[in-house]
Amino acid sequence: MLQATALSKSYGEKVALQPLSLTVKGGEVFCLLGANGAGKTTTINLFLDFIPRSGGSATVNGLDVTQHSLETKRLLAYIPEQVNLYRNLTGLENLTYFQQLSGQAPMPRTALLALCDRVGLPSGAPDKRIATYSKGMRQKVGIAIAIARNARALLLDEPTSGLDPQASNEFSAVLSDLRADGVAILMATHDLFRAKETGTRIGIMKHGAMVDEFAAADIGHADLEQLYLRHMRN
Amino acid sequence: MIMTIARKEFTEMFRDGRVRSGGLALLLLVGGSLLYGMRQTQQLATERDTARQLTRAHWVSQPAKNPHSAAHYGIYAFKPRATLATLDDGVDPYVGVTTWLEAHKQNEFQFRPAQDATSAQRFGTLTAATTLQLLVPLLIILLGFAVFAGEREQGTLRQVLSLGVKPSVLGAGKALGVAGVLSLVLIPAAVLGVIAITGMPDGGSDLVRLGVMIVSYIAYFVAWLALTLAISAFASTARVSLAASLGVWMLVCILAPRLMTDVVRSVHPTPSASAFAAAMKRDLDGGFDGHATGAQREKLFEEAVLKKYGVDSLSQLPVSFAGLSLHEGERHGDEVFDKHYGALWTTFAEQERVRELAAVVSPVLAMRSLSMALAGTDVAQHLHFQNAAEQYRRSLMTAMNGEMTMKSKGQDFDYKADPSTWSNVAPFDYEAPSAAWVLQRHTPAMLFLGVWAAGAVLLAGWSIGRMTP
Ligand SMILES: Nc1ncnc2c1ncn2[C@@H]1O[C@H](COP(=O)(O)OP(=O)(O)OP(=O)(O)O)[C@@H](O)[C@H]1O
Ligand SMILES: [Mg+2]
Repeated sequence: MLQATALSKSYGEKVALQPLSLTVKGGEVFCLLGANGAGKTTTINLFLDFIPRSGGSATVNGLDVTQHSLETKRLLAYIPEQVNLYRNLTGLENLTYFQQLSGQAPMPRTALLALCDRVGLPSGAPDKRIATYSKGMRQKVGIAIAIARNARALLLDEPTSGLDPQASNEFSAVLSDLRADGVAILMATHDLFRAKETGTRIGIMKHGAMVDEFAAADIGHADLEQLYLRHMRN
Repeated sequence: MIMTIARKEFTEMFRDGRVRSGGLALLLLVGGSLLYGMRQTQQLATERDTARQLTRAHWVSQPAKNPHSAAHYGIYAFKPRATLATLDDGVDPYVGVTTWLEAHKQNEFQFRPAQDATSAQRFGTLTAATTLQLLVPLLIILLGFAVFAGEREQGTLRQVLSLGVKPSVLGAGKALGVAGVLSLVLIPAAVLGVIAITGMPDGGSDLVRLGVMIVSYIAYFVAWLALTLAISAFASTARVSLAASLGVWMLVCILAPRLMTDVVRSVHPTPSASAFAAAMKRDLDGGFDGHATGAQREKLFEEAVLKKYGVDSLSQLPVSFAGLSLHEGERHGDEVFDKHYGALWTTFAEQERVRELAAVVSPVLAMRSLSMALAGTDVAQHLHFQNAAEQYRRSLMTAMNGEMTMKSKGQDFDYKADPSTWSNVAPFDYEAPSAAWVLQRHTPAMLFLGVWAAGAVLLAGWSIGRMTP
């Protein structure tokens, strides 16, 4: 579903991403681990065609993301590190807006409220303006938007940043559901525990390069942390 | 989907208190200027009607007197105030609306409110046209500068662009949202305007002009809206977008017209009033070659008349020599006027052409000249009236001098015409040019305006299409 082939990005002299190849099939959760500045966000931005690539290619469902910029985006749902919403609109109005811009039939209010409930938004919050939301609450609306899009693939850039442990846990459950529905998920995260828990494959990035890649099932929690730290120290 | 975007834009803007108060202020301004214009039009129309009847009454009630004295007594000609002048009084305050028709002279307009007005009044006359041409674009900028740049700054643009929405849909939705808020101001204003115009006596006759005017203003606003969106899609922050849009507004609305006035003056200079008068006096006194003195020309004319009537002395003439020579004087004067005023008016027309071509640099210039033309208050229609008034003056002089020539004899200067002579002269009845006359002359302005609107829309499409978060 998601495929990068020798995908690379440099800003002048500075190499942000060395030629990277990865594949995420439907029903897979690929977790990208790596220190700050390792190139995780860069990879996701390249899949979204937000920045021009320097080499290689990225495809979604076999379509090149630059040549089919709009079509590939329609197959995706994206949760940024920092979900930003319209401050003067309520949470529900934001959700409705993004859901309708996805080109789908409008969802009834009850369905939207159920969705808010599913991502753990406190009851009463959906009808309050975003200006009154905490960071985690905004993140939850972002997750609700992504679910409402019924996307074939998810690009998640530290989606649980700012979520309390319970909400993180609920988010893991949501991801499991989506995975079971055959959605391909590429997630950048700093949370080794969640990566092991929800991921099917794990990649460790360093200085713009993928230094290790393995199946999540092949490694224990403790071993993952050891492996990660070893890569970072070298 | 366009409507979804438009509705969200509308809701967001409407919930912004600054937008509400700005819109309300503009609504009051437009409404106020319309009401002021209406009152002005009605007042001027009444004044003009009264004065027209008065000048005619004065003319008709002259006692038996020498026709040439009557010709000197003269008549005032009044330019009718078009109902659309309510919206745009154009050059009227500067060139005046009255001209004095008398023997021997082609007078320029006399009544110039701008000359009498105190400077405070002069800047205070905010017409609907000024509001529409300068302030509405400003409101468009205030409503639209943040539509993309603000979202970019807030970070919401990232999410919007990740959805795969077509740029054209996104742009159209945003534009419609801004237009929706704008129409809260403009639709009441337009309704008020249409009611005001059609409610006036013979206001219905201007409907074609009004229609074209409304369409032109819509095209003008589309150009501004598209330009604002193009800049917003391009700018890194809302602040940059606002600064850039305001910069364009200053350049296009304030600087370009000022500059244009200077350019027009230097490319097609008009003579100073005193130089113009001096040159005309020289030709009037000395003939075109400037050598023949008045006395010499009189002598030649006398000889020609004697020869024509086959008599030896002026007293033997079967007609009045005074009448003939007055007529000859008018004929010579008309030639001189035609030469000098003709040149002046050609210069005016050339200036107008330059101004219209300058619309390439600024849509305001196209809109301004089109608006004035449609309102019937531009230079061309001022000259049209001047011409008609001058033709009337000439026919009046021909009639008076003819009366003198035929009814009197030889060198008798004491002939008195019957008072019925005065009422036999038809009153001056001016018909303003038709809408077609105006439209035909202003095709370039309409074309430029259309090109500006289309160009701005294309620019916006391009700018939104290549937008990044
Ligand atoms: N616009 C830019 N110009 C120059 N360098 C950039 C630019 N954007 C990113 N980089 C560089 O690219 C590298 C990769 O950045 P990226 O944002 O992908 O890291 P990341 O793995 O997402 O880090 P984090 O965990 O902090 O989110 C960094 O070294 C960063 O400095
Ligand atoms: Mg990052």
